[in-house]
Amino acid sequence: MARVLIVDDALFMRKMLSDILKKEGFEVAGEAENGKEAVEKYKALRPDLVTMDIVMPKMEEIDGISAVKEIIKFDPKAKIVMVSAMGQHALVVEAIQAGAKDFIVKPFQPSRVAEAIRRVLGRDK
Amino acid sequence: MMDKNYWELFFAESEEYLRQINNCLVKLEEDYSQTEALNEIFRLMHTIKGMSATMGFNELAEFSHAIEDLFEALRSGKQKITPDIMDTIFSCIDAFAILLEEIKAKKEISIDVKDYICRIRNIINKREELSEDLSSKGDVTEIDVSPQEVEILGRKIEEGWDIYKLKIKLVSECLMKGARAFLVIVRLKKMGEVIKIVPPEEELKKGNFSIYFVVILATKEEEKVIYDELSQILELEEIKITPFSAVPRKENKIKSPITTSYFKKIQSIRIPVERLDKVMNYVGELSIAKSRLLEVINLKDKSLLEGTVSLIERLISSLQDEVLQLRLLPISYILDAFPRIVRDLVKKSDKPKSVEIEIKGSEIELDRVILDELGDILIHILRNAIDHGIEDEQTREKLGKSRKGKITINVSREKGQVIVEIIDDGKGIDFNEIAKKALEKGIISEKEVTSLDVQKVLDIITMPSFSTSTKVSDISGRGVGLDMVKVKLDALGGRLNFESELGKGTKFIITLPLTLAIVKAMLVELGQETFAIPLMSIRESIKIEGGEIKTIQNIDVIKIRNEIIPLIWLGRELAIKEEEELNNKLSVVVVEGKNKSLGLVVDKIIGEQDIVVKPLGNIGKKVKGFSGATILGNGRVALILDVVNLL
Repeated sequence: MARVLIVDDALFMRKMLSDILKKEGFEVAGEAENGKEAVEKYKALRPDLVTMDIVMPKMEEIDGISAVKEIIKFDPKAKIVMVSAMGQHALVVEAIQAGAKDFIVKPFQPSRVAEAIRRVLGRDK
Repeated sequence: MMDKNYWELFFAESEEYLRQINNCLVKLEEDYSQTEALNEIFRLMHTIKGMSATMGFNELAEFSHAIEDLFEALRSGKQKITPDIMDTIFSCIDAFAILLEEIKAKKEISIDVKDYICRIRNIINKREELSEDLSSKGDVTEIDVSPQEVEILGRKIEEGWDIYKLKIKLVSECLMKGARAFLVIVRLKKMGEVIKIVPPEEELKKGNFSIYFVVILATKEEEKVIYDELSQILELEEIKITPFSAVPRKENKIKSPITTSYFKKIQSIRIPVERLDKVMNYVGELSIAKSRLLEVINLKDKSLLEGTVSLIERLISSLQDEVLQLRLLPISYILDAFPRIVRDLVKKSDKPKSVEIEIKGSEIELDRVILDELGDILIHILRNAIDHGIEDEQTREKLGKSRKGKITINVSREKGQVIVEIIDDGKGIDFNEIAKKALEKGIISEKEVTSLDVQKVLDIITMPSFSTSTKVSDISGRGVGLDMVKVKLDALGGRLNFESELGKGTKFIITLPLTLAIVKAMLVELGQETFAIPLMSIRESIKIEGGEIKTIQNIDVIKIRNEIIPLIWLGRELAIKEEEELNNKLSVVVVEGKNKSLGLVVDKIIGEQDIVVKPLGNIGKKVKGFSGATILGNGRVALILDVVNLL
């Protein structure tokens, strides 16, 4: 079972994502509420995939985008799916540039999230 | 807003602008760096757009808007001009002209404006939201590769890379499609080198496209690997990967509308205000003269009366001149279209030819009725020159000629006539070839083969059944050729001649009356009747003694300056009288007939006069030998002899 790290500053979103993933048969390896924590948890947990909220408060100069960069630097094969809202087009592009594998746009349907994750996990599974 | 005046002005002006655009395009095609032409087209298209929008012609407005955008991109350098783009532009302008024509004629619109606009947008890389009906039209994502890109592709192929064209379609509900597309590009860049993206990456990232985009990728990965990689990405509805060949497309997808007519009947003329003022002046003076006439009549003074009448006569003749002037248009009205026509004709010829055209004397004015017909006539001769006259580039080089052929259209005025010469520097007309062909077709006899002169050759090549070319180009309308030229010229009272030197070129000479409505004519008397003979066809008029008439093979002839001229007894010919009195001195009008001069025997020569030609109408058309009628000063009608067809 694929292990997923959920990164979001809003508890509501973490809860929701966590529920969706569990229902779709993924294991939630852990949750992080800012970029800094995300990087630390990635290193510690080595999940198969990360869902990363694109807009998060900066914690020690690390926001969503820089968290992506940090994680990719640590593990170039890391699979990160950005979670974004409409209107954050430029940020999404930046995240892709930084190495994010895909993105989903809020508000999302549970099935979409699962599909995105499955796709990104793709061939390895 | 839709006032009739605006309506006419709009179309007249738009057509004029389109002509100018066409000429700019021809210049541009020769030299892509002609920024002046680019700016001019942009400006003209902008004006047309504004006018169309004001008139409420939305289709025209949208179409011109798109074309304007394209030229904005071209002149700002955002988009480079390529031969393909040039072709697209030409076909767009053609379609635009047809659309204009259809709207003008209130016909059903046959032009798919949206399709054209979409093609333009494809060039400017801003795809219109037309994706849905595009997908049904098959492969819209044709890609134009620039020469530099072809070079890059060539190098990659040499280095053992494979080139693929990837057509990606996003799901229609895709959110943030710019980012989505960018994601695809980023992935692709990891697998090879992205040579080209349509629309370009910057536009793509901003989401400025419908739901399609196309990528040319050079890669060492297999097709399957690329496909698998891309299929990991969400919201891609379709991924189509095809091997891409770097050869630039020769055949453009857009077909030009088949029925391109280069000339439209002239329906409105723009007249300088001074000319109208002059007419008004004469009318004013005439009414003053009329009041004076009334006064003089009361005075019963004959000499004063005569003076006044001659004043009125002078005024009327000036007024007539002036009104005739109003009907005149500079020949540039049709000649302006010729650079474009030559370009099209040259493109259509199957051998690589290049032709430059020079036009002289295009300021000379002709009656609009003649201009209406002249356009088609000239096209036929031009087509002839390009198809049969000008050799292809290689042949020309071998012959020591310049690679580029040259066609000169020379317009000049001589007395009451306008002479149009069409001169090419091609291979000339081969009399032997003509003779051979004519013999084959049974047009001439074995005996005549050796004695072909210019006149005979002209007769042969203007025969409906004769064409030296087996292939027919589509511009002149399915094999109608010089015979049509002849028919049309006859109808106009014009003449066709040619001079040709083998290997050096051919010169066709068209002689036209300045105006159709009024001609100078010689009035002659026959019995009780008066007839008019157009001065243009008269060589001379002489008086002869009955005894001078000789008979050769039952034909009466006379000898003028060592030339034998057959005589036609016009009275007998027209069944006006049975017997001619031979003893008197005879008046003979020598006319230039079809191939030879003829002497027309008349009772009396009345004199020269300007006559107003009136058409004979349907009944008269059936009567051979007359081209029209005119009303004489005494109120009687005189028939005008159609000399060429009378004989």
